[in-house]
Amino acid sequence: MLAMENPLVQAEMVEAMEFPTLADRHQVSGVPHTVINDGAGNVVGAVPESNLVAAIRDALQK
Amino acid sequence: MDKLLNENVEKQIHEVFTGLKEPVHVIFFGSKENCEYCDDTRQLVKEVVALSDKLSLEVRDLQTDPSLAGQYNVDKTPTLVLAGKDSEKITDYGVRLLGIPSGHEFTSFIQDILLVSSRDSGLAPATREFLKTINKPVHLQVFVTPT
Repeated sequence: MLAMENPLVQAEMVEAMEFPTLADRHQVSGVPHTVINDGAGNVVGAVPESNLVAAIRDALQK
Repeated sequence: MDKLLNENVEKQIHEVFTGLKEPVHVIFFGSKENCEYCDDTRQLVKEVVALSDKLSLEVRDLQTDPSLAGQYNVDKTPTLVLAGKDSEKITDYGVRLLGIPSGHEFTSFIQDILLVSSRDSGLAPATREFLKTINKPVHLQVFVTPT
């Protein structure tokens, strides 16, 4: 729901089994797995909101 | 095609949808080629949208509606765009579902509809502050499985 606060943010829930090529490209082996900006950041597992924010912040600095 | 939702499930969703605040417009992007789950997804969404008059559905095709797909940044099917609708104005909140929302994801689908309807992300104040400072595109892909 991070996407709702800023029009520059787009969030997709991707069904990994239906898009295996995409899942493989990002080496998704467990779910949930969040990919930020096509691999600039990765968050594995269900994490607190603040961890996700930190990961987005890091990814944007790359 | 037979109905995907049984009466009991429909009743439960109908009950949950009494909590809908503002209208939600679902844009379905399908494809006639190489799309195993397009028909089931379209049918499922159609049945869900029918359970509240605050919900509407627009059915599009990735190949025949390329400009709209481009506008919504859609390049895979099936994709669902969950947008807001106020009078006739469609507002894109950047919320997408790729693939059929079945199993666990069905619950997420219903919750996402409720959230977009509330027009409130429900996030912590610090998160909202951070998100306001973002000045370049952020694309989040949350991989999930139905089981």
